[in-house]
Amino acid sequence: MLANSLSEDTHEYDVKVVWTGDKSGDVLVGDKPVIRTGRRPDLSGTTEFHSPEDLFVASASVCFMDSFVAFTQKMHIAFKSFEVDTKGILEKVDRSYEITRMYMKATVVIESEELRDRITRALELGAKYCYVSNSMKCPTQHENIVIVG
Amino acid sequence: MILRYLPKRFSERPSDFFVVKALSQDMHEYQVRVDWTRDRLGELVIEGKPKVQVAPPPEFDGPTGIMTPEDMFVAAASACFMTTFITFSKKIRFDFKSFSCQGVGTLQKLEKGYEFTKLVLKTKVTVGSEDIKQKAERALELAGKYCLVSNSMKCPVEHENTVVVK
Repeated sequence: MLANSLSEDTHEYDVKVVWTGDKSGDVLVGDKPVIRTGRRPDLSGTTEFHSPEDLFVASASVCFMDSFVAFTQKMHIAFKSFEVDTKGILEKVDRSYEITRMYMKATVVIESEELRDRITRALELGAKYCYVSNSMKCPTQHENIVIVG
Repeated sequence: MILRYLPKRFSERPSDFFVVKALSQDMHEYQVRVDWTRDRLGELVIEGKPKVQVAPPPEFDGPTGIMTPEDMFVAAASACFMTTFITFSKKIRFDFKSFSCQGVGTLQKLEKGYEFTKLVLKTKVTVGSEDIKQKAERALELAGKYCLVSNSMKCPVEHENTVVVK
């Protein structure tokens, strides 16, 4: 990020997409590992990379995880595992397509029953303050499963 | 469960949502999974595609050098702009030599928390001759209009398109 006059409450994200031939390109973010996007025909058939739609749904899902983890740290609670399965629906709206809804099913495993309420609260707050979902037009529906195990 | 701005048609029971249904031709589904690994790290898992390590950015207490959701949000729009441009280049029937799009997203603190308030896509396309230049400019305009990912975002998207003959 370039040093400029951004306030403390503003952050910039700089990403580059470079076409690599046919229908594929590379997503470059600083020196982070490259994400390939699109598809590329090769000797063994066609290799599928992350589509823009995958990246869209993934960005909301990862943001939800980050947001949940941040709340568990604020609340000083631990969990054993977390995973979220997300489904995004792309639909024709008027003359073009839009992602019209997302559904996230999160499963969290905790050590003991007494953590359940607080973990459920962290999941709710994680969803409410998820920057990325809040930047999208579509509604996100959450189903949270908390298991003692 | 939290329900936000749910339209009326969004009435399925959550558990029914993952049941494979006959989707219409005009509907597509995208399914991804994120597994927490440790600390603030996770792994993005999409069937049949390379796994991606993910984390929050350093400004939100994450490590450096790992893909963040903010990066992926901007990347989704930039990559979608590229694929939409390619589709239009085929429809309009012209070839281009190179395409590169730099996306800059601005995340800003609003009353309700952070949101992306602006996205700027700076695109450079190289073509072989002057007569293709106009076609490429038109394809870039159409791609901006029909980019389904930007159309799914709340923030305005600005385009700075440059077509160079080389």
